[in-house]
Amino acid sequence: MSPPSNTSAPTVTDLDGTAERVVTCSEVTRTFSRGGTGGWLSGGDRRAETVTAVADVSLAVSRGEFVGLAGPSGSGKSTLLHLLAGLDVPTSGTVTLAGRDVGSLSPRGRTALRLDHVGVVFQHFHLLSSLSARANVAAPLIELGHSKRQRRERATTLLERVGLGDRIDHKPGELSGGERQRVAVARALSTAPDLVIADEPTGELDTATGARVLDVLADVASDCAVIVASHDHQALDRVERVIRLRDGRREDEGADATRGENETMSGHE
Amino acid sequence: MSDADRGSRPRRVVALVGLGVRRTVGKARGGTSRRLLLSVSGVAVAIMVMVMVSGVALGLASQSAVQSEDVDYWVVPEGGNLDTIAVSTEGPQLGSTHELTERLRGDERVRYATPVLLQVVPVSSPGGDSLEYVLFVGVVAPEGSTPTVAGVSTAQLEPGDPYYANGSYDGRWTGEVVVNAGAAALLNASNGSAIAPARGAPEPLRVQAVSETDFRTGIGSTPVALVHLSELQAMTGATDADAADQLLVSTDDPAVRESLTELYPNTAVTTRTGIAARDASLSSLPFAMGVAALVVALLVGLLFTATMTGLEVTNDRTALATLAALGYSDRSLSVLVVVETVTVAALGGLVGVGLGAVGIAVTNAVAAATLGVPSIALFSPALLGYGLVVALFIGLLSAPYPIWLSRRSETLEVIRG
Repeated sequence: MSPPSNTSAPTVTDLDGTAERVVTCSEVTRTFSRGGTGGWLSGGDRRAETVTAVADVSLAVSRGEFVGLAGPSGSGKSTLLHLLAGLDVPTSGTVTLAGRDVGSLSPRGRTALRLDHVGVVFQHFHLLSSLSARANVAAPLIELGHSKRQRRERATTLLERVGLGDRIDHKPGELSGGERQRVAVARALSTAPDLVIADEPTGELDTATGARVLDVLADVASDCAVIVASHDHQALDRVERVIRLRDGRREDEGADATRGENETMSGHE
Repeated sequence: MSDADRGSRPRRVVALVGLGVRRTVGKARGGTSRRLLLSVSGVAVAIMVMVMVSGVALGLASQSAVQSEDVDYWVVPEGGNLDTIAVSTEGPQLGSTHELTERLRGDERVRYATPVLLQVVPVSSPGGDSLEYVLFVGVVAPEGSTPTVAGVSTAQLEPGDPYYANGSYDGRWTGEVVVNAGAAALLNASNGSAIAPARGAPEPLRVQAVSETDFRTGIGSTPVALVHLSELQAMTGATDADAADQLLVSTDDPAVRESLTELYPNTAVTTRTGIAARDASLSSLPFAMGVAALVVALLVGLLFTATMTGLEVTNDRTALATLAALGYSDRSLSVLVVVETVTVAALGGLVGVGLGAVGIAVTNAVAAATLGVPSIALFSPALLGYGLVVALFIGLLSAPYPIWLSRRSETLEVIRG
């Protein structure tokens, strides 16, 4: 069975035609309000504190890239990852995913955009415990309205690709941490996304198991763009390019400026 | 992927239903969710109680009125009820029944007519020192035909009603009584035995015959004693108005109905078909019991399911947030929550009808052991379907609350943990 086609996805191609931009963000800032609920008892005198999680970040990632987001805890990695995946919208600036301005879409529109173009891998796997590995991988295809046969074939193929062909009917509770994360990677790939994001994918795994998962992600990057947020050296050593964040800002702004429309993204930092 | 690549919506909904059922059954089977098992148990208990009470209601509804196969019309007071002994013995009564019966018997079209008085009377058994309660049925035994009333034939009673003596109640006291098998067993009576009502009878009654037929009501096999109407009236103080509960009329001529209506103002004349319809729909006491059981089951099941599945959804919000992050729409997640809630209720319904069937058997066994009646509740296969339908309804009604809870969760907050 052929994987679901994404040829119709509106993506941005550089002028020289060598790299297809999957996601770009331009001067993106994301702030959150903390506190400020005041409340009846406190007399409402508490003022909301504005926290800037991501400040003025610009970048672009193209199909075939394996990019790392690095930075200490609280540096804004996860927030930026959520913005790139269309899980969140920026307070200012623009995130363009598969040719669509994420900030201009309704929550429903963003959900559809994620379904069509984004695969997500979580640190804690977040598999559905009562379902088999195959059913977990096939879950996103339900929302796409694929037939049962199509779902089963696609999920089986992907599980074989991540080396779990013999674990198809196992439930998450019967799998090791590394196996669960590989199931999660297979699930992220089930809709043939343009972008796969992985938030600390090796955070709960030992070195050898983590290396196996990174191998799978590197392999995936041949078909789409992969962005991994991590502060794990093992993970960052595997990616082709690292975007470093500190206090919500890019530390490597000079080294990897991405504001130019025609810039080609490739190579290690 | 474009919209054109998407499969059909019905296929998506079917797959979502499958996913919801598999997730719920998987959790229930794996015992991973105590809340889920509690939800199933809650619905199961509600449905079990409903099935049991409905079984008792069915038992009551299935009791026969004091009818015989060849009776064509029942004359009852307006507001009276033919369907339950309990109501009939306490309801409004007809007066001057002997006179009316005479007039009816004078009509050539009428094969026979008899008033029927129903009274529960305490009786001393022969040689016994305890009082037993027997349903006495007073009739004016027709001449030339021997209808069966309350399962007992009038054949062994002297035709007419000698003690009535044109309303003077000083005629010959026959003391005749025909008992059914239940009464014979209860009173340890046989042909020729003397049984003594606790009050009102100038002399003991003499058993003329023991009918082997069984008169079953909602409280099982009812002990019945058939006597002459005037003698029962004398025993129970109903002589003043010559009272009876109903009048049975047998005829081949449909025109008799009109005569009956004219004969007795403020009465209802019901045909055999009419009785059947009333049995099914308006049998007041069983109907009330059935409705009460349904309402209680709905309320208990609804509150239990909504609360427990609400807790389950709250606990499961990570899974729902994950699906939302993967691209499941709010609508699809709502379908999933509805399916999971209905599945929980359906599982509870399945368990509940099983427990209800067992409960009916236990109720009957306990009733037989303690009250001496073999069957209080009646089990019908229809109760299985009824229980399941109510359970599904409970699931659908309780779904909005977990849906509301599921929509309150912010995907990002949940994923961030």
